[in-house]
Amino acid sequence: MYLAPDAEEEEIASAAAQFLAEAMPISRLHATTGAAVIADMDKALRQALGGMGWFALAVPEEDGGSGLSAVEHALFFREVGRQCGPLDVLAQCLAANLFAEAAQRRAVIAGEHGVALLVPDGSGFRLIGSPAAELALHVTSEAAGIYPLDGLRSENRPALDPANSLRVAEALPAPLASLSGTRIWQLGQLGVAAMLVGIAEAALDLIVEYAKVRETFGRKIGAWQAVRHPCADMAVRAEAARAQLWYAAAALKEGRADAAAHLDAAKHLANLAAHGNADTAIQLHGGIGVTDEHDCHLLLKHAMLLARVFGSRRDLLGRLLHARLDD
Amino acid sequence: MDLHFSEADVEFRARAREWLKANVPAETRPARGPESARFDRAWQRKLYDHGWAGVAWPKEYGGMGLSGLQQVIWYEEMARAHAPHHINTTYIGLMHAGPTVIARGTEEQKAFHLPRILSGEAIWCQGFSEPNAGSDLAALRTRGVVDGDHIVVTGAKMWTTDAQHADYQELLIRTDPGSERHKGLTWLICDMKLPGIEVRPIRTMLQDEHVNMVFYDEVRIPVADVVGEIGGGWSTAMATLSFERGLGFIGDQLELYERVGRAIDLAGRTRLEDGRLAIEDDGIAQRLASIKADTMAIRAMTLADIAETDRTGIPGPKGSMMKLLVTATHKALSEVVSDILGWDFLEFDGDRSAHPWTYEYLWSWVFSISGGTSEIQREITADRVLGLPKGR
Ligand SMILES: Cc1cc2nc3c(=O)[nH]c(=O)nc-3n(C[C@H](O)[C@H](O)[C@H](O)COP(=O)(O)OP(=O)(O)OC[C@H]3O[C@@H](n4cnc5c(N)ncnc54)[C@H](O)[C@@H]3O)c2cc1C
Repeated sequence: MYLAPDAEEEEIASAAAQFLAEAMPISRLHATTGAAVIADMDKALRQALGGMGWFALAVPEEDGGSGLSAVEHALFFREVGRQCGPLDVLAQCLAANLFAEAAQRRAVIAGEHGVALLVPDGSGFRLIGSPAAELALHVTSEAAGIYPLDGLRSENRPALDPANSLRVAEALPAPLASLSGTRIWQLGQLGVAAMLVGIAEAALDLIVEYAKVRETFGRKIGAWQAVRHPCADMAVRAEAARAQLWYAAAALKEGRADAAAHLDAAKHLANLAAHGNADTAIQLHGGIGVTDEHDCHLLLKHAMLLARVFGSRRDLLGRLLHARLDD
Repeated sequence: MDLHFSEADVEFRARAREWLKANVPAETRPARGPESARFDRAWQRKLYDHGWAGVAWPKEYGGMGLSGLQQVIWYEEMARAHAPHHINTTYIGLMHAGPTVIARGTEEQKAFHLPRILSGEAIWCQGFSEPNAGSDLAALRTRGVVDGDHIVVTGAKMWTTDAQHADYQELLIRTDPGSERHKGLTWLICDMKLPGIEVRPIRTMLQDEHVNMVFYDEVRIPVADVVGEIGGGWSTAMATLSFERGLGFIGDQLELYERVGRAIDLAGRTRLEDGRLAIEDDGIAQRLASIKADTMAIRAMTLADIAETDRTGIPGPKGSMMKLLVTATHKALSEVVSDILGWDFLEFDGDRSAHPWTYEYLWSWVFSISGGTSEIQREITADRVLGLPKGR
């Protein structure tokens, strides 16, 4: 029993952090002119990620992946979350785990084909991700399918979260590939929970750093208890969500019977931590917190998007209530 | 990262479960009075006789020397078996005084006190807080004057839990009359039967009298009963508190996990005023599930903490964050049960066994005030975990 990243796992996490800070920094999301930008993942970024093997961490080696586990998957997506990485990264990664056919799988792993995420909304669908994506992934807790986007009619919508384009579509074409079972859903839940934990941590880091330098009434704001105490509460939320994330990742890696319940709990706690911490970070920054040039609002908006995929609050809590847990 | 229990751990769990199943007393703990302390002593004696006493104590001092993980297993099995709550009159001896004597005591002190604590023969209480020194412990004024081989103590302590039952007290006093704050303090073993000690109960909102004021009128305590150095009491006291901030609340942490399951069962058989089962109410169901997630995280944090302590060799400053989360979750659980039970929640006579949920609700303030208030835990987190500039 060891519920923390070990030395090798830490190494992967820091390699991911370093790579993402260069290839996909959160600063890419700031609008430079009047109109809002949507900084979707373009082909060059996709191929850069693919070239490093990041889409295939949890894909077996014989299938062209790294042969690592859910744990490394979680560590990677926590870093993606810190940079408000687009959902495409996760969709791409899940598609790499879904495709059974070698050529299709290779093209996704290498980032040659892009994958967006489809989620049902009423009678139609929401399509989240780059308009350049050729494929779309739809995942439920029982099955997952991949759809071609070339013939699909979709309509663009203005997106609150600049990390992803948002479109609506009426009907789906026939799937290119599908896979029944819970694996893709569970990797998706874990990935989103990890991104949300990354957001919760990033929000905490931002305010802690600012509270050490900003002065009011002759003191650093970090010396005022009305600032210190909500920061401590943010730390508790992030800590709880992170510990549960580790537990869920290890449970999934080990194929434990109660992994689904631990994933639901991890997603729920990560939702609360990311949203709560982004909210508090904006408030404790004062005026600068509501400006576009600041990262706080990016964290909030991305958390709002991520909260709605791979289990909304209602679904998660509904399942969790009677879930049985092992020792 | 892995969740495997070793074979030895699995075997330990099975052994603990079996023993507890056969040995947890059938009768409930008397709510108050000397009978309650008698009950605690008897249970501790039973644990001792069967080799289950002092789970965190080193083996050389008669403890079990369990690893952090095995302590988790032990408390989980205690909660599962509905064993007597480990925060009872034996708590201070086992979780505070014993470990302090082990870390800082003389060989004579160890030889005399440790077996008595382990076997339930000696009950201890903690005399740190005073009427004007709680959060700000270093403001304490109870004074001791060295007179030959004795220290003569005069003053008052407040909030001393179980002083009326205690044989000994960990007593923190000021022995250097001109000293300020953290200097000039001394940590003493005080025999509660010494002349000049008066214990006066304080009745609490739980309808009980488990906390007290203790007055000292020229009480003569042998210098041989100083733990650590005369004047070095602050350092000894910080050692005492570090045991509590480490795994001191581990039992409560893990018990919550068990109790939320009981609350869900309760909601599944209790009808609301409108005739529906409580669990059919969306609001109640969602709050219960959310609290269940919190208790899962608390367990995960406990396990993560152990991994970190294993790696660094010292418990980190995260105990404060744990206490914040555990006390908030404890209160949230009590509040949702209040909504489940409706009017029944308002029936209370101070008996924890008869009215466990209402008792726990009232206890939630004791939990978030004693052992360092939530505000102080936030201060500690801000200072030591986040490194924010000091406000004080
Ligand atoms: C039921 C019970 C049992 C106890 N048992 C024992 C015992 O056995 N032995 C023992 O020694 N003590 C015991 N205590 C004492 C306990 O440790 C203190 O009550 C506690 O530390 C708070 O101190 P205080 O009551 O003096 O409150 P104060 O320190 O006066 O605090 C009043 C309020 O101010 C807040 N506050 C204080 N300082 C700060 C600050 N710097 N920043 C922000 N907020 C602040 C506090 O959080 C609190 O809300 C017990 C207390 C209770 C209620």
